[in-house]
Amino acid sequence: MDPAIQFVDVRYAYPGGPLSLTGVSFSLAQGSKVALVGPNGAGKTTLLLMCNGILRPDEGEVRVLGKPLAYDRSSLREIRKKVGFVFQNSENQIFAPTVYQDVAFGPVNLGLPQDQVQRAVRHAIFSVGLSGYEKRPPHHLSGGEKKRVAIAGVLAMDPEILVFDEPTSSLDPATAAEIMDLLDELNAQGRTIIISTHDVQLAYSWADEVVLLSAGSVLHQGSPESVFTNYPLMDRARLTIPPILELFLMLQERNISISKTPPAGVLEMTHLLEQAIGCRRTGKIGQIFVADADQATGDDTREHISRHAISRVGAMGTVAKIFAERELIPLDFTYGVIDKALLRAVLGEHTLIITSGGMIGRVSRRVDEFSREHGVTITISLV
Amino acid sequence: MDEHILDDLALNNALSGTNSHLKLLLGISSILICVFSPSFFTPLVVGISMAAVTVGLAKIPLREYITLLMIPVTFAASGAIVILFLTGGGDPILSLSLFGATLTATTGGANLSLLVLSRTFGGMSALFFIALSTPMIQIFTVFHDLKFPREFIDLSMMVYRLIFIFIGEAIAIHNAQVMRNGYNGLKNSVHALSMLCGALFIKAWVRGEEMLIAMDSRCYDGKFEQCGAKQTIGILPAAATGAYLCGCSVLAVVFSGITLF
Repeated sequence: MDPAIQFVDVRYAYPGGPLSLTGVSFSLAQGSKVALVGPNGAGKTTLLLMCNGILRPDEGEVRVLGKPLAYDRSSLREIRKKVGFVFQNSENQIFAPTVYQDVAFGPVNLGLPQDQVQRAVRHAIFSVGLSGYEKRPPHHLSGGEKKRVAIAGVLAMDPEILVFDEPTSSLDPATAAEIMDLLDELNAQGRTIIISTHDVQLAYSWADEVVLLSAGSVLHQGSPESVFTNYPLMDRARLTIPPILELFLMLQERNISISKTPPAGVLEMTHLLEQAIGCRRTGKIGQIFVADADQATGDDTREHISRHAISRVGAMGTVAKIFAERELIPLDFTYGVIDKALLRAVLGEHTLIITSGGMIGRVSRRVDEFSREHGVTITISLV
Repeated sequence: MDEHILDDLALNNALSGTNSHLKLLLGISSILICVFSPSFFTPLVVGISMAAVTVGLAKIPLREYITLLMIPVTFAASGAIVILFLTGGGDPILSLSLFGATLTATTGGANLSLLVLSRTFGGMSALFFIALSTPMIQIFTVFHDLKFPREFIDLSMMVYRLIFIFIGEAIAIHNAQVMRNGYNGLKNSVHALSMLCGALFIKAWVRGEEMLIAMDSRCYDGKFEQCGAKQTIGILPAAATGAYLCGCSVLAVVFSGITLF
């Protein structure tokens, strides 16, 4: 399979400025979740703007899905259909007077017929969870809602690759986590997601692959663990180590080894520590129930909640959240749902995850992986 | 006052769902009746009834409405005072001596200034009826239905969207200046205001460039989606509008001779 995006020795200088990219080469696999990490002025945004041909390298080549970018009008149209770009500041991206018109902008300019435009727009607005907001003017929306509109505007063109410049900057932490969950959902549909960020914790916990940029060149490309456990590399890139990793490394330095591989998050860290201090959990392990929002009914779900004594309910993905809202099922978790459910299961509580489509598979994969790594058996049952 | 207030009211009033063609027809015809009425009487009736409709039917809060209406009415009132003393004709009714000069108000001046005042009041309350009862987006739809040029509508839609970004930027810069004593004293104020204008100009320029990139990223090809659902015209509102406009026209003709003196 061709890489989603490939940079071949790309050099670029802004007019009248010094070189801002000094020979960048790397490639990103299709379907991956990539974080471009680096300090301010490392060239992250410049690099991202090359993915859909807004900027043209002075030297070198950018390839999208195996094909080198051409910069004539019709090729650029094709590329921009394939590579969706979400700006850091949603305010710059939303220029129409209503949400509907803004989301419809792309499809209309692609020349789609009216009924297809409507379908694409309705679907995109639904996917980001903003159904019912169609007629609102953008200046009456909150920051998180504006970000969702910006994402919907790009989704309406059904791109294979999505590029986000600092997707969580200027959002509150819960909204940021929800946006990142939305990105996961889009990735589960098979789209390649590329984000730029200097939030090391976010990059560590979310990405499959990290590209570390500094002063216009690639310092390192690899798994999040390989990048963020490397002190000299972090220093050179003016970044800090994510707190959870720093704790792990500090413990290691004091010869308290809790595991060979660094923990992926708070959940793993808690579990490893618990094992390391020899506190064996003897109590009952909770079960995780999964409900398919496409098939379940509200009454069934409520019945399951009371029959299995389920103490917490989480919803993953837009379909599930809309389902819960419609059926008046109170939600305890709306982001980071699987990890929170696992944490509860270890404590002996039963949880229900409402989700749909490809994300059902993701729940079972994640739970299996956790069970295998930590030697606990958590059963999942589809209700 | 919050910069969103007019827009908020237009979006969330009791008449926002009513057919916007009808509302525009009512508002614009009322303005025309006010302008062409030779007597002060009809504009006064139009003004009072339009205000009553805006506050009573569209449920615009009275306080906000009065605050808004006071702005043009104050201007008109100060104009009317000048007209009262500067226009001649008819018998003198009042004399004032001011700094040694004598100012005389005549019946002709009084008639003219009352006419100006009532026309302004009538016209403004009809305009406020449109502004406060019809969301901007629906006005664009009416433009579209009336076959206005596409470029004009697209451009006005972007202007509408950008006004709020522009106001937001201006407030942010103004706050930053006030926090550092920018408007202390006349000299400072002039200086700060000129910096505000300069910074806004540059920001608007940069924003424009960024918007162009955003539009290009989504394959801009000169097309802009039109919005607005088709609204049906109810029989009752249509009949009421027709009756009201006919009534006002008749009033304007019948009472065309009425003057104060």
